[in-house]
Amino acid sequence: MRKQFKNTIMDLSLTDENIVMILGDVSVYLFNEFNTKYPDRFYNMGICENTLISVAAGLGSQGLTPFVHTIAPFITERSFEQIKLDFCYNGFGGNIVSCGASFDYAWDGATHHCYTDLAILRLLPGMEVLQPGSQKELDILLRSRYNNGKPTYFRLSDHPHDIDAPVEFGKGCVIKDSGADLTVVTAGPVLGNVLEACKDLNVNLIYFNTIKPIDRKIISQFKNTKMLVIHDAFGLYEALCAIPDLTVSYHGLPDEFCSWYGTLHDIREKIGLDVKSIKATINSKL
Amino acid sequence: MKQECKDIRREILKISNASGHGHIPTCFSIVEIMYAVYGRMNHDPKNPHWEGRDIFLLSKGHASLGHYSVLAKFGYFDIERVYSFGNFMSDFGCHADRFKVPGAEASTGSLGHGIGIAVGIALAFKLKKQDRKVFVVIGDGESNEGTVWEAIMVAVNLNLNNLTIIYDNNMSHGRGLQITGPADRFKAFGCHVWEVNGHDLGQLEDEIDQQSENVKVIVANTVKGYGCKTLVENQYEWHRKSPGDEELEKLLRELDEETV
Repeated sequence: MRKQFKNTIMDLSLTDENIVMILGDVSVYLFNEFNTKYPDRFYNMGICENTLISVAAGLGSQGLTPFVHTIAPFITERSFEQIKLDFCYNGFGGNIVSCGASFDYAWDGATHHCYTDLAILRLLPGMEVLQPGSQKELDILLRSRYNNGKPTYFRLSDHPHDIDAPVEFGKGCVIKDSGADLTVVTAGPVLGNVLEACKDLNVNLIYFNTIKPIDRKIISQFKNTKMLVIHDAFGLYEALCAIPDLTVSYHGLPDEFCSWYGTLHDIREKIGLDVKSIKATINSKL
Repeated sequence: MKQECKDIRREILKISNASGHGHIPTCFSIVEIMYAVYGRMNHDPKNPHWEGRDIFLLSKGHASLGHYSVLAKFGYFDIERVYSFGNFMSDFGCHADRFKVPGAEASTGSLGHGIGIAVGIALAFKLKKQDRKVFVVIGDGESNEGTVWEAIMVAVNLNLNNLTIIYDNNMSHGRGLQITGPADRFKAFGCHVWEVNGHDLGQLEDEIDQQSENVKVIVANTVKGYGCKTLVENQYEWHRKSPGDEELEKLLRELDEETV
């Protein structure tokens, strides 16, 4: 998905001279081409995430379109106050693009895991929070939102799904409508596992790539069913909980640090987000 | 003390008395600094969004009452409006809201943020090839925040010689984490540093006009509560206090007599 990020930026930059790349010593080689073509607008600015956000807000205040890009926990959890005040409260526009969220850096341990980013950023007034699940979703969402004058968060993944779902900012989509009493709700790359688990089950399945604003309209279509959020992060569940009169439960992160290493698949299996465990969880709700 | 700066301090005292909100000493320490900057930079109080303007940011946002009083003195708005300071529907809060206050370029208050935004604005001017300057006032207490030093490292690395950082060395840091020898620290970070008496308008104006090859820092040695003996000698008590009517009379008298 990072390559798609670079490709989309390169394409947009052909006609948009306001794009400024600010990297936190991540993806520097990937953006060599941008650096070569637009050296005045490329900055591997430093491993100082708080300041990357503040500087980007300053650039945004003058009508430029900054992209701050680095590892998810450091640019969101560490820099939450800068995002809250320098971008959101001040009403300056810009883009924050993370990599390595959830367990993409499983082997690096809990210091590099990040599963609260969507949940904390959706609390900020004026913030747009996106979790594209595939390259296609990233490309469409990035093009549609990157220069709208608002702070927008794009959460990239190194493990995208390959499902061709409809993509529109702020819209969820119904992947499966079985007229069932249970509706599974998910977002982002974990859709791959969730869809596989739901394949032979009598459930509905709704998918999101926009966490904020959440698409209430599509949820309302299933408001009379029980809802089960299956997600490898926080944020989607809380977004549904904010909608009145729904019956919502959550299957995903445990209330403990994931102090194991290995791969994304190892962690998903451990916390019950592999296909088999998801299927068992859904069956227990039927 | 220049009469205009004395007038600004009088308004700060009277508004603090009327509103019940304070932070007077930290406002008093930067009156000359802000008066000098607004006197030298390119701006148009009748057209605050003029596209050719230089930018001033108050990173130590709790001195907002001082900033409002200076902005009013330069004609951005009528000082009478500031008498609603801190009221529920006032445009003039105890930390500025850029959407409400003409001349406030960013909403600051949480320390260590304004300087980073200032670096971004200075970089934007470079990218857009605009001959505009950015001035930012940071506090010495504020400079306990690590983000201040992050921002300075980034600014120096980007060679932002259109950025002037004015360091209000009013000894707030003495209460806690001390920053001894600030000028040497800024030099060690690669800034071009001038050190002045922060209440001497002539010195301030001379250094504001200096050209620099990289980020410029003016270490302004100031006194919290400058102008009133009572404030200077009782800084802890007066950090956030507003004066009652009798105290106001006393402070105004001390200011007139320039007891400090």
